[in-house]
Amino acid sequence: MNCEHCKERLATVTVTQVVNGQKSEKHYCEVCAQSFHPFNLDFHKEEQIPIHQLVSNLFGLPVWNSGAQEKAPSTPKKSDQCPTCGFTFRKFLNEGKLGCPQCYETFGKQLPLVLSKIQAGTTHSGKAPGKPNHHNEWIKKQIDSTREQLQLAIHEERFEDAAELRDEIRELERKLERGGVDAP
Amino acid sequence: MNLEHFLKGEAPGWMDVKGLDADIVLSTRIRLARNLDGYRFPLSFTENEAHQIDVMIKEALQSIQNDEHRFSHFTVKEMPALQRQVLVEKHLISPLLAKKEKSASVHLSNDETISIMVNEEDHLRIQCLAPGLQLAETYADASKLDSKLEEHLPYAFNESFGYLTSCPTNVGTGLRASVMMHLPALTMSKQIKVVTQMLARLGMVVRGIYGEGSENLGNIYQISNQITLGKSEEEILKDLQEVALQIIKNERGAREALLKNSRIILEDRFNRSLGNLKYARIMTSEEAAACLSNVRLGVDMGIIKEVHLNVLNECMILIQQGFVQQYAGTTLQAGERDMYRAKLLREKLNLNNQMIKEKGEERYDV
Repeated sequence: MNCEHCKERLATVTVTQVVNGQKSEKHYCEVCAQSFHPFNLDFHKEEQIPIHQLVSNLFGLPVWNSGAQEKAPSTPKKSDQCPTCGFTFRKFLNEGKLGCPQCYETFGKQLPLVLSKIQAGTTHSGKAPGKPNHHNEWIKKQIDSTREQLQLAIHEERFEDAAELRDEIRELERKLERGGVDAP
Repeated sequence: MNLEHFLKGEAPGWMDVKGLDADIVLSTRIRLARNLDGYRFPLSFTENEAHQIDVMIKEALQSIQNDEHRFSHFTVKEMPALQRQVLVEKHLISPLLAKKEKSASVHLSNDETISIMVNEEDHLRIQCLAPGLQLAETYADASKLDSKLEEHLPYAFNESFGYLTSCPTNVGTGLRASVMMHLPALTMSKQIKVVTQMLARLGMVVRGIYGEGSENLGNIYQISNQITLGKSEEEILKDLQEVALQIIKNERGAREALLKNSRIILEDRFNRSLGNLKYARIMTSEEAAACLSNVRLGVDMGIIKEVHLNVLNECMILIQQGFVQQYAGTTLQAGERDMYRAKLLREKLNLNNQMIKEKGEERYDV
């Protein structure tokens, strides 16, 4: 799809706005989206996206860039308070940060909405306390999937590919023996 | 170790020139964000909580201390502003930590490859640095330390959200991996824009090394993952590694093309830059960074032979304003800084160019 603004470049940015329950979606290319964005958000410059702006935009909330124009929101939503730190979901949206580990449970229902916009998923798949051999498990998984590919390659008589896959498996097995660390 | 040890102008251990693809990838950095369960995040905690956390982490580090992990502890509040800035410029602490008032502190390993920041944006930030491209190895170091600390500290962890962090951009793995790359040929041939756009699409960020707004100062770019949730550590590292290798390949290609098409122009440019560094009397940080980048490329291409990369690495750190002022021994106005910077560079490049330092044997055990 081409950008709705310049109609030239490929649209890569989707701007979703929810205003009074009315959802609208716009597709822009990167160049237009940057010049267009109400907060002039720069996607590349900072390590941490000013997420409060991103989410405020997402939820159609007013921006607090200057205290003077701050108006009481027309639809005061009664949000739950986090019992440990007193944060509300609205406060999180404004700050862009959570108050304490408990917040993740308090706002467990709303958070995935935000996370799905800024992360690759909403569920953790990685290291966890008490599971130190994760790296090895990952290599084992890789070996399994490569073996499957190898079988497929043999079945389809793609022998050059098969040879490469076989070498790859050997390399992975060597890594596994050495404790999961790549040799330089 | 006293603080002076960490304020020296020498290039730190992670800036050694021995890493893999060290001509293009200057260093690899791994950062893990962790928090303690039952305590509010630094954004909203009290002085008392901050202090308790500081003590708990200090005790945990003492109990895991061995030959591999030995740390010196410094409290941010007790450091003068200039010394904080020097540590920031050496990438040992973050600009945010330098500004913290509530019981914020840092634990540094003597070779400066590990830094553990306490009460920054999160309770605990483990940072490991290594020269060259060594994502898997550096992560292994960080993860090992993390696993040891985990036995002594109640990490805030949740089955579905992973390691809990103050900012949702770090939640999950809490892992930020970055590689610092010198990409002069891609910059000169204007291909860097395409690279930056490609990276954004892959969920990676590009920044300059000298902090915000210094995008291509010295043609040095820091590339890091943005996504921390929904991908495992290994996937994150693998993706970044692939991207880095691709960029290295492109940079090498661009260098070859430059050398083939305009060798004499390059020779002229590199030697002029070296001349400026050796003889100029006023040097802004921008000019110094640009000249150092040219000389570095000249050394990589074999055109400049009398300068060692170690000296260039050192200069890259020294040209920052905190170091210049420390060298002068006093705070300086911008104009004075440029004069001292030029003096510092003259000294380094005229004295050191024959003295190739043999150092870092004991440092390179990362």
